[in-house]
Amino acid sequence: MNAFLLKRLFTSAVSLILLIILVFFLVRLTGDPASLFLPVDASEEAREKFRELNGLNDPILVQFFRYIGDLAQLDFGTSMRRAEPAIDAVLRGFKWTLQLAAITIALVTCLSIIIGSLAAFRAGGIFDRIVTFFSLIGASAPDFWIAIVAIVIFSVNLGWLPTSGTGSIWHWIMPISVLFIRPFGLILQVVRGSMLSVLSSGYIKTARAKGVKDTVIIFVHGLRNAMLPVITVIGDQAAGLLNGAVIVETIFGFPGVGKLMIDSILQRDFAVVLASIIVTAVAIFIMNILIDILYAILDPRIRY
Amino acid sequence: MTHKGTKTEPSILRQWLRMLLRDKFALCAAIFLLVLVLAAFLGSFLLDDIATKQNLRGRNAPPFDFAKQWIFWLGGDALGRPLLARIIVAARNTLMIAGSAVSVSIVIGCFLGLIAGYSSKFFSHLIMRIADVIMSFPSLLLAVIILYMLPPSVLNIVVVLAITRIPVYLRTARAEVLEIRERMFIQAAQVMGASNKRIIFRHILPIIIPTMVTIATLDFAFVMLAESSLSFLGIGIQPPEITWGLMVAQGRPYLTTAWWLSFWPGLAIILTTLSLNLLSNWLRVVLDPQQRWRMEVGGSKNG
Amino acid sequence: MKFSTYLKGGLISLMIALPAMANAKGVTIVLSEELDIVDPCEASRSNIGRVVLQNISETMTELHPQNGLQPRLAESWEDMGGGTWRFNLRQGVSFSDGSAFDSADVAHSLARIKSDQLSCEIGAKYFGGMELSTKIVDDHTIDITANPAQPILPLLLSTVTMMRSTEPMDAYVKTPIGTGPYTFDQYIRGMQINLSANPNYWGEAGSVTKAKYIFRSDSAVRAAMVAAGEADIAPNIALQDATDGNTDFSYPNSETVYMRIDHEVAPLNDVRVRKALNHAVDREAFVGSILANGTLLATGMTPPSTIGYNHDLKPYAYDQQAAKSLMAAAKADGVPVDTEIRLIGRINNFANVQETMEALQSMFNDVGFNVKLEMYEVAEWLEYYSKPFADDRGPIMVEAQHDNANGDPVFSMFFKYASEGLQSGINDSKLDAMIADATSATGSTREAKWKDTFKYIHEDLVGDVMLFHMVGFSRVNDRLDFTPSIRTNSELQLSQIAFK
Repeated sequence: MNAFLLKRLFTSAVSLILLIILVFFLVRLTGDPASLFLPVDASEEAREKFRELNGLNDPILVQFFRYIGDLAQLDFGTSMRRAEPAIDAVLRGFKWTLQLAAITIALVTCLSIIIGSLAAFRAGGIFDRIVTFFSLIGASAPDFWIAIVAIVIFSVNLGWLPTSGTGSIWHWIMPISVLFIRPFGLILQVVRGSMLSVLSSGYIKTARAKGVKDTVIIFVHGLRNAMLPVITVIGDQAAGLLNGAVIVETIFGFPGVGKLMIDSILQRDFAVVLASIIVTAVAIFIMNILIDILYAILDPRIRY
Repeated sequence: MTHKGTKTEPSILRQWLRMLLRDKFALCAAIFLLVLVLAAFLGSFLLDDIATKQNLRGRNAPPFDFAKQWIFWLGGDALGRPLLARIIVAARNTLMIAGSAVSVSIVIGCFLGLIAGYSSKFFSHLIMRIADVIMSFPSLLLAVIILYMLPPSVLNIVVVLAITRIPVYLRTARAEVLEIRERMFIQAAQVMGASNKRIIFRHILPIIIPTMVTIATLDFAFVMLAESSLSFLGIGIQPPEITWGLMVAQGRPYLTTAWWLSFWPGLAIILTTLSLNLLSNWLRVVLDPQQRWRMEVGGSKNG
Repeated sequence: MKFSTYLKGGLISLMIALPAMANAKGVTIVLSEELDIVDPCEASRSNIGRVVLQNISETMTELHPQNGLQPRLAESWEDMGGGTWRFNLRQGVSFSDGSAFDSADVAHSLARIKSDQLSCEIGAKYFGGMELSTKIVDDHTIDITANPAQPILPLLLSTVTMMRSTEPMDAYVKTPIGTGPYTFDQYIRGMQINLSANPNYWGEAGSVTKAKYIFRSDSAVRAAMVAAGEADIAPNIALQDATDGNTDFSYPNSETVYMRIDHEVAPLNDVRVRKALNHAVDREAFVGSILANGTLLATGMTPPSTIGYNHDLKPYAYDQQAAKSLMAAAKADGVPVDTEIRLIGRINNFANVQETMEALQSMFNDVGFNVKLEMYEVAEWLEYYSKPFADDRGPIMVEAQHDNANGDPVFSMFFKYASEGLQSGINDSKLDAMIADATSATGSTREAKWKDTFKYIHEDLVGDVMLFHMVGFSRVNDRLDFTPSIRTNSELQLSQIAFK
């Protein structure tokens, strides 16, 4: 296990470096931050001044090595727009994103596994049909719809919940619900599909014939083998959430990393773009390593 | 020798049709998809003029006004154009973009995932780390870069969407392969001297396809909606061309005052997803020899 | 519904309302974007201005929508000639940290906005292309010289926020300190900004004692917050969300929308083609449908309240016949009117910009033009709007929205119409002369010259397709007595808010 872990860490580090190089050079091909930061009627001298102050006039390789040098000392540069260290803005946002993502994924995992397994157990039955129907609607409906309609109903009309913001636990109910729906729908279907295959295999039939209780069949025998694709898709959805839930952030005013990343890409705020990509990449890479380890735990036959 | 009274086995087509009829939901789904494909082919040809004629005075016309022509029964959009006509015409672009993006990503993702799961450690690591990099690269950034580097075309958005969706198929395929390759029948095939290529494509691939398809049907919806959020950059579909995702996005500012602008195209997306999923569930049962009996005898009663 | 549900609902409403009740003299304002920088030298940007301008940091002079230029930190001023103006500062004014406000602070603030080591929006936007120098006569008198001479220097100074002479010239400040009626207490990034009343303010205290600024990107949410009582003012909401007559106010927001025409490339270089484009647009059809009621038809680049606005000019009438015959005449002379013209729009430029552009495209094509619409995000759009222009470009029209709330056309005309102007598609020496002339004129001559310039552009040159003077919407909670004005686009003075 240790050798495996070391190897994974090493290869992940290599891909992180690759990612940094890729993003660094590509993002600089895409426009001039000076004209975006300054008003349209600013003079060319003002723009030149901005470029000078931010080191944008130096040859690109010089800028690159300066960046790598700073990075080695954990200096992620200064945001051109915010006049604060890029990493501060990113970590501040990531704190919120991480909380939203963790709670959502935890809820999704528990509920979709339980409900999906039950649906697969009696495939084609009423429970299955209803669950499939509603989960698919949730998974394909536009999320801003759900968010705004929820706000209108629950905040403005009924007054039960606050419209937006982050103060109390009540403020989290709608955002988490909105974030929850799409991954839930998707993963429920994946669980259902996997369980269907597993439940019709030989050893399950044997267990049933032996009279083993249904719940034991599902949750002890069936689930373990169905889990590999399920946790992979959960990981993919979690990665999406770690990249930031933009709709929830913009509508509900959670200052997470998603909106920060989008704004900084559109404003060509290079330092923040790189810093946020690095932070989320590290989180995603670590998660993928954990998922690989989980595969091996769930299915002892797996060798890497 | 055939005896009188023994029927010959019906043709494949009739068998499938009968199984489809068993599952009413799948039947509806199939019909809906057929209508959709027809709309994609013929819609633009038949309804283009009506769908693009602007009428500022008829802006945001509410739906269910049966006094008007039938084409206006779903309401009018922000420029007074009939929503029903717009949705039908938009079917072509939507299905084309979403269809291409999903097809490309599933084929590439599946293929790479199979290799990553089955082949040597080096290739496995290489492919997986590339997948990691793609997962961490924001799709918006990719879209902006492509916008700046390539001449504008609809292909660009298909490329962006396809690339960003590859990792989920890749990783899921690989995960399943890791498990499947340890099974008895694979070891048996290896012992019998089957080539790697044969094992992968003939034995492993059919097992992973159902999961891939399940993911793909839901990915379709995601791609339809993601396409609209990238279109705001000016990449992809430009007005007066339209897709469902774009219609939904354009209806967003009016959500509280003219809900029908976003609702009907959103409903089209939901119904398409539902249909694809129901049909794929049906297909999964039909193609799996161990489960096919559900469609042949008795059906859901024996669930 | 069960009783317990009512109870829960009631408790939650109380929880939300209680802080508001306890804070009876406090207001909550919901802005559309978080403030990335709070330095007062960036106060010309809308959202930053709404927090900082005249609340925290004040200016020497102030432009009132009705009364014109008024004294604020400067009591009086006189033109000494040769580009120099003498300003007499108000006495007994101090910054919120106790230090006295004097000429040294003025000199430093002016130097800072043009500093080499800092990118200040105020300097870039209003003071580009001129040298500023100051001479301190005494603690409360200062001479400011502009080179080239600026007849409207006092008006220009209404944009410059006064900061302490100890502020760094090479870094943005994190906590602005000013002479204004409120102090900047705290900025919890991503969440809120807190202001409270400055007990040592030199002027009259307003009724508002505390202010909280929060940020929500979505207009529907901002409107919902005010409706639900979670916020008091949303200074900027979309037309669609302004549905409540009691709380929603429209105000001219000093923005003008127009199509900038590139005069260098055929067929747009022919004045008949430009006139045809103008006649093809049914401007009236937009008002009350795609755009708000109260949107004005424009004949010039600056809002009607600006001096020098030529009220005699008429917008081009919607006349498809006239457009078609003009095009036919041009075509007969060999002008390639069938060439595909690209119409470049900017996404999210204003509410309903997408519909507006599609409608315009349709109107142009209806009279026989071959117009293709392309919508882009800011960075890409800017490549088309600002020079340098690509050499091999075809005929292009760029949609843009220009903001001028500062009372004089000089802020707009050079950039948009001079041959050297960064966003100008025109190369006309007579126009250049007229602009230069008006810029250096004073008083009523100045007004007259600007009027002539606008007339020349609109009728003789047909510089662009002038469209609309736009209207903005605010939602203000019932419990407040506050009416938005044209200044609401750039500032929100808490001292102007009263409680009912």
